[in-house]
Amino acid sequence: MALTPITTITTLDTPHAPSARLPAVRWGTAGTALLALALAPLVLDGYYLHALIIAMIFLPPAHGLNLILGYTGMLSLAQGVFFGIGAYASALLSTHFGTPFVLNLVAASLIAALIALPLGIPALRLRTTSFVMCTLGFVVIAQMVAKNWVDLTRGDMGLSGVARPKIGFGDTTLAITQIPQYFYLILVVAVLATLAFIALIRSPAGRCMVAIRDNETLAESLGIPTWTYKLIVFMLSAAFAGLGGSLYAHYETVVSPLVFQMYYSNTILIIVLGGGVGRVPGAIIGSFLFVAVTEALRVTPELRMILYGFVLLLLVFVFPQGVAPLIERATEKLSRLGVKQEKSL
Amino acid sequence: MGNFGNFIFEQIVNGVITGSTYALIAAGMTMIFGVLRAINFAHGEYYMLGTFAAWYAISKLEVNYVVAIVLGVAAAALIAATIGRFVMQRLVGAPFQAGVLATIGISLILQNAVILAFGGGYKVFEGGWIEPVEFFGFGMAQQRIVLVVSAVAIFAGLEWMVRKTRMGKAIRAVSQNIECCQVNGIDVESVVRRTFLLGTALAALSGVLTAPVNVSVYGGMGESITLKTFAVIVMGGMGNVRGTLLAGILLGVVEALVSGLIGLQYRDSVGFIALLLMLMLRPHGLFSQKARF
Amino acid sequence: MKQQSIRRIASLTLWGAATLAATAAQAQDAFKIGLVSPLSGANARYGAFANKGANLAAKEINAAGGVMGKKLEFVSGDSQCVPAEGVSATKRMITFDKLPIIIGDICSSVTLAMQPLAEEASVLLVNAASSNPAITYKAGVGGFKWTFRNYPTDEGRAAIVLEHAVKNRGLKNFAVLSVDSDYGRGAINFTKKYLPRYPDAKILSEDYYKESETDFRPVLSKIKNSGAQAIVMYGQADTTPIVARQMLEMGLAGKIVLVGNAEFNTAKTIAAAPSVLNGSIEAAAWLPEWTSARSQKFVADYKAAYSGEMPNNHAYTHWETTHLVAAAIKAANSLKAEDVRNALAKIKYDSAMGPVTFDDHNQAVLPMVLLEVADGHPVIKSAIAVKIDYPK
Repeated sequence: MALTPITTITTLDTPHAPSARLPAVRWGTAGTALLALALAPLVLDGYYLHALIIAMIFLPPAHGLNLILGYTGMLSLAQGVFFGIGAYASALLSTHFGTPFVLNLVAASLIAALIALPLGIPALRLRTTSFVMCTLGFVVIAQMVAKNWVDLTRGDMGLSGVARPKIGFGDTTLAITQIPQYFYLILVVAVLATLAFIALIRSPAGRCMVAIRDNETLAESLGIPTWTYKLIVFMLSAAFAGLGGSLYAHYETVVSPLVFQMYYSNTILIIVLGGGVGRVPGAIIGSFLFVAVTEALRVTPELRMILYGFVLLLLVFVFPQGVAPLIERATEKLSRLGVKQEKSL
Repeated sequence: MGNFGNFIFEQIVNGVITGSTYALIAAGMTMIFGVLRAINFAHGEYYMLGTFAAWYAISKLEVNYVVAIVLGVAAAALIAATIGRFVMQRLVGAPFQAGVLATIGISLILQNAVILAFGGGYKVFEGGWIEPVEFFGFGMAQQRIVLVVSAVAIFAGLEWMVRKTRMGKAIRAVSQNIECCQVNGIDVESVVRRTFLLGTALAALSGVLTAPVNVSVYGGMGESITLKTFAVIVMGGMGNVRGTLLAGILLGVVEALVSGLIGLQYRDSVGFIALLLMLMLRPHGLFSQKARF
Repeated sequence: MKQQSIRRIASLTLWGAATLAATAAQAQDAFKIGLVSPLSGANARYGAFANKGANLAAKEINAAGGVMGKKLEFVSGDSQCVPAEGVSATKRMITFDKLPIIIGDICSSVTLAMQPLAEEASVLLVNAASSNPAITYKAGVGGFKWTFRNYPTDEGRAAIVLEHAVKNRGLKNFAVLSVDSDYGRGAINFTKKYLPRYPDAKILSEDYYKESETDFRPVLSKIKNSGAQAIVMYGQADTTPIVARQMLEMGLAGKIVLVGNAEFNTAKTIAAAPSVLNGSIEAAAWLPEWTSARSQKFVADYKAAYSGEMPNNHAYTHWETTHLVAAAIKAANSLKAEDVRNALAKIKYDSAMGPVTFDDHNQAVLPMVLLEVADGHPVIKSAIAVKIDYPK
């Protein structure tokens, strides 16, 4: 065994049996957080809303990475590639054909997933470290293509003037131009993406993924077509990333080869590892935490990136499982408030 | 030789020069990977630190170039020793992504600390042997010859160290099977620290040796180095020191030919296209026997 | 014991109140504007110069009484030359710091991303260093009414360089070696646009270097073998010394000349390889050798303020633009963004490069300085203002 497998705690590390109220408490917490988000535009001003929007734009790609890393055990640095592909796809459709927002969103995810197919087939044969390097290679190549295929991407000049989203129902169209409007639109998309993610991992397919992550050989021997699963997961995570890219394009309205910088892949990785790999709320906690930290650090522009580096070290050595376990333990403690403590057996 | 043949030969010479630097830096990274199973995302920063320290020595302390080489490597090694002690050795046995995150963090800290201390403006590196000499009819700075000779000498030295010394054997042992080493009483943390020190010192040395001809010194100069070094170590076979010498030089040559015949803007893609092809067709690298990673 | 703690609390409260009052008083006296530039990452070097120039101007303005009686202060933001980061920093300035005026960015792609934000928030965006023509194609009557640019564009630059190189120096065979960015590629596009005017002139090879490139031997070998007489280089200040040194080691000094723009004129660059830089042709927005009194005073003041460091292009343009904004405030007699904007559109401002006015695309009509390097010094040949052909 060359590498330590990713340890995730799927059971609670508590000497007591989990309280029956725990699921209710968990969903209650999630619901309260969602309500707070929904009410945010009434209380917070544009700058904070912008920060939250950035968090929600990174959320679907983070779910995708969580899927591939936390639930199938492969570390991919290529989320940035599919994020960028989604951004470019949406930008191109919008600037050349004037297609509506929802179509761009769906197309971006599909295109990203389709491109993931020929990339994944050879890449997934590799072992962990080689796979990581391979995904890195994809990022560099993607940036080179974006810079040099000037006819398609306008190279370094970039694509600007991506249309603001317009949501239409029958006769009425709602033009999204203000930050609060963007906030709700992106919130809806982020929630839908999260629900899709949860549905995926709660499904029998999801359990197969966990099996592959924990012990691929055993899973194979149980009849799970591991190869197919890994490929499908790779494509799905690309779709999630493409979704985020599309949101990005419609929000920033400018897309350039800079979208393929390592910065985005690194960010998504930090979000997932910081939040908690292999846990449902991992990506969610991670994105909001990441944005909170990076924006808060703007108070000291000179020290900002240095402090950010230290935060990363903190994550690695103090919170190796991410921040999610803390939240999980808190909700667990909450669920046994007032319940008589049974003695452990 | 015809004009075209001459041109190709010149590009090959160019490639060998650049490639020896690639190989030297990659040797360090591949050794660190061998013992730690971690990709050092901050490797380029040690290259930068060595260069910066040497620059500081020459322009502020007014020493000559040779002394600056020593000071440059020493300063970088000191910083690397601290990082090795407090960060790198704690990554033994940690999952792969911990190493990725930790070294990204270190890279951010080092880059921006240097910018904070010395400013974001670029510095011009004075010093070194930049007088041109003729070699087969091509002009090149004397420093280039120093570079290639140093690289070959260092690789020979590494080869000797790995075969003959205790440290070398310990490195090989830890690279092959870390649990066995722990059982056998080999101080794995110490091997990791010392290998890390050696690897980063090689990077710092490369920085100081190339600074006279690369001229520019600035805080962000290490970033692109790291990325390209990834390509070299994959092609050479991760953990395979000999392989990186050949892979580095090969990469240098192919890059020079592509730049000369097609365009400089495609230079970086050579390494990564080669890397991807390699991983598809021969994942264990050009010069390794079997795939271990 | 209790008496001691009461005394302690009282003194702390007093101290706290005093500090608060002082800060409030100071805040009341300060008029803040934003400055977005790359402060970290690979382009940190440009942001450093820009900030120094701007802060020097602020100091001068405050010494002369400030703007409308208030002290001019900068709130600095880091764009890292990444559009998303620039947008975040700008948003913070707009909604958090509530700044009515922002100067920024250096990187064109960041500026392009900032434009819609400024437009929606009715914040005055004054650009001092981006050269992508698209920024003002889309400004003024072109769309973004709140964007102004006080920097010449690459369209004029490319035309001026080519004319001088062919007509006055008789150069015919060119090799392109420019930076691989919107700046480098854009300027070459314009060069190619004007090339047909000179039937004998041709481009023999076209290469672009990445921003962190350090090894130019392969491309220089190619250029050497192609018979090119000149290299058209629109690139970065810090890469030029590298190319120059490597041209020297390959024996190209005096044989191939550099034309274009990449800070050929600074002493630091020339010192890297004088025999290579001698004879080069450059069109620059500004150089320290510019003889106007105002410019010379700026250079002297900058060196005095920053331990003898020579200002670069970005330092100058941000210094000048800060003074421009202050002048617009004075002309408007108001600190409100809308008034300042209207004043700026009509202003006739005496800059170190000559009188500045803005055309209907909010683009400053500025000359480019055409210079050659001779005997290790830049020699100014002329200053030419080019009329821009806006797309219909």
